[in-house]
Amino acid sequence: MIKKIKIRKDTSEMVKKTLAKTLIYVVLVLFALWIFIPFSLVLVTSLKTASEANSLNFKWWPEEGFTLQGYQAVFEYTTGSAIEGVPLLIMGFFNTLWIILPPTILGLFCSSLSAYAFAKLRFKGKNWLFSLLLLTMMIPGTILLTPSYIIFNQIGWVDTPLPLMIPGMFGAATCVFFMRQFYMGIPTELLEAAKLDGMDYFTMFWKIMVPLSVPALLAQGLLGFIGGYNDYLGPLIYLQSPEMYTLQIALNLLKDKFSLSNVPAMMAATIISIVPTITLYLVAQKYFVEGIATSGMKL
Amino acid sequence: MYLSNIYNKRKKSGRTENISGLLMALIPVVGFALFGLIPLVMAIVIAFMRIPGRGDIANGTFNSINNFVEVLSDKMFWKSIGNTFVMALSLPICIIIALIIAYLLTKNIKGKKVFRSIYFIPYVCCAVAVALMWELIFNQNHGILNSLLGLTRETAIPWLTSSDYYLGVMILIGVWSGTAYGIVLYGAALTNVNSTLYEAAKVDGANSFQSFIHITLPAISPTTFFLVTTGLIGALQEFVRPQIIGGGNGTGPNNDGLTIVFYLYRNAFSYDNTMGIAAATAFLLALMILVLTVINFAVSKKWVSYD
Repeated sequence: MIKKIKIRKDTSEMVKKTLAKTLIYVVLVLFALWIFIPFSLVLVTSLKTASEANSLNFKWWPEEGFTLQGYQAVFEYTTGSAIEGVPLLIMGFFNTLWIILPPTILGLFCSSLSAYAFAKLRFKGKNWLFSLLLLTMMIPGTILLTPSYIIFNQIGWVDTPLPLMIPGMFGAATCVFFMRQFYMGIPTELLEAAKLDGMDYFTMFWKIMVPLSVPALLAQGLLGFIGGYNDYLGPLIYLQSPEMYTLQIALNLLKDKFSLSNVPAMMAATIISIVPTITLYLVAQKYFVEGIATSGMKL
Repeated sequence: MYLSNIYNKRKKSGRTENISGLLMALIPVVGFALFGLIPLVMAIVIAFMRIPGRGDIANGTFNSINNFVEVLSDKMFWKSIGNTFVMALSLPICIIIALIIAYLLTKNIKGKKVFRSIYFIPYVCCAVAVALMWELIFNQNHGILNSLLGLTRETAIPWLTSSDYYLGVMILIGVWSGTAYGIVLYGAALTNVNSTLYEAAKVDGANSFQSFIHITLPAISPTTFFLVTTGLIGALQEFVRPQIIGGGNGTGPNNDGLTIVFYLYRNAFSYDNTMGIAAATAFLLALMILVLTVINFAVSKKWVSYD
């Protein structure tokens, strides 16, 4: 008798559990759809004919069939491109790359070198300098917009990519913080031993700290790269000659060109512009998530 | 002799450590001084100056507090503050959704990795692409939403060109692109919650809802605090989304897309002679951010637990 009741209780518990689990799946799938549907709408539209996309009659499966004319229009749009025959959007992509790669790499180097010094070396004024860096993170970037423009204008850097490149080369405070946190976790004994072998401080950094921190460096480098790739306000303010336009600015130009006449082309341009970052993310997902998760842990 | 030798050696090594440490640490600090501190000081000076043309500072003149008077008496400035705060409503929605999703992802379910990957994608998409994406959906004349609602050209709803819908759509876009960050942070925080606490609660007869309220929420309160603080600072500087959807220099219907930074940007780069006004706006924005952050920290003592 007692046993029977117990079994019944177990089954009701099980029903409850399956129900809860189903509910969890429903919520997770719905949320995934909410994130995913806008992308699929863009993709489907990019493969439509201009006339179908322009009508108020949306079909998931294009009535006039799939076509690559949107992509073709983007790749044939060379007006304003600095390089003969290269599409504006692709030129923007290459401009973005050569503008952001040097500050990303050099900035990462300077940040981690500084982080190593803050984490492992003793020197005068260390705490004072570190508080100064802390201050950097507190200043909202938009406040520096006007004075920075005036300074760069005075030294003739406006309409060159230099304002987008040089400041980043010195490193970023957030990156210093993140790497310092990481380096503090590396046992100091390793460095003591190297010191006894007569290694100097920079070699210790290069030969010991850097190899030990490759994942953390990758995480920071990727985040820095994505940030630069997606930057819109900086290029908008400083780059005025079309031959220097970055991908984001080129994309916005294409929008003005295509938004009324050729919606599929606009969507094709959107797809082309996000494919690099999404691919990079999917390939290096682990590092991204790690980089973000650790950056937000401490406040 | 031997001892003093060691002493000298140590002293010497201390000195090289001092110098090389300082040199290595200094690079980002120098960068900050050049590109952060100098502009910061200038920002304060410019706020009290009248600058002719587009940043011709050599011919600038002292303008006392006139820039501030002008900004504070400009209806558009107050309107931009209102717009910014309405758009910032996406922040609490993002935080709640991110918490729910991250919590569900800690449960024992299949396909966790796939879900996580999908949820994070908006984070790596540039704001321009996101804006274009949503414009495709909300456009009045060829927008997919109007089409799915079965509307015709005559009855189509002007989502992006009418004051009734515009800010709502902006909040929605903010929610779509803003949850990813919170999901990742909450995900990390939730895995760090001490599991013995849950077991103890279970022994005491608490159901999962109770243990969520009394154990999980307090344990992850530092993350919530981080998201609220940084999110608010970011939301107050909203610019790209309304700027692109408004179409270059358009500010949306009835100026609903004019955020504080958009207002600042217009004065700095679209109009002549108003750089000083832009700097005064930036000054006020900084003050607002400072006050809100201080309030945040003060209130946090009541609900954030670090242990």
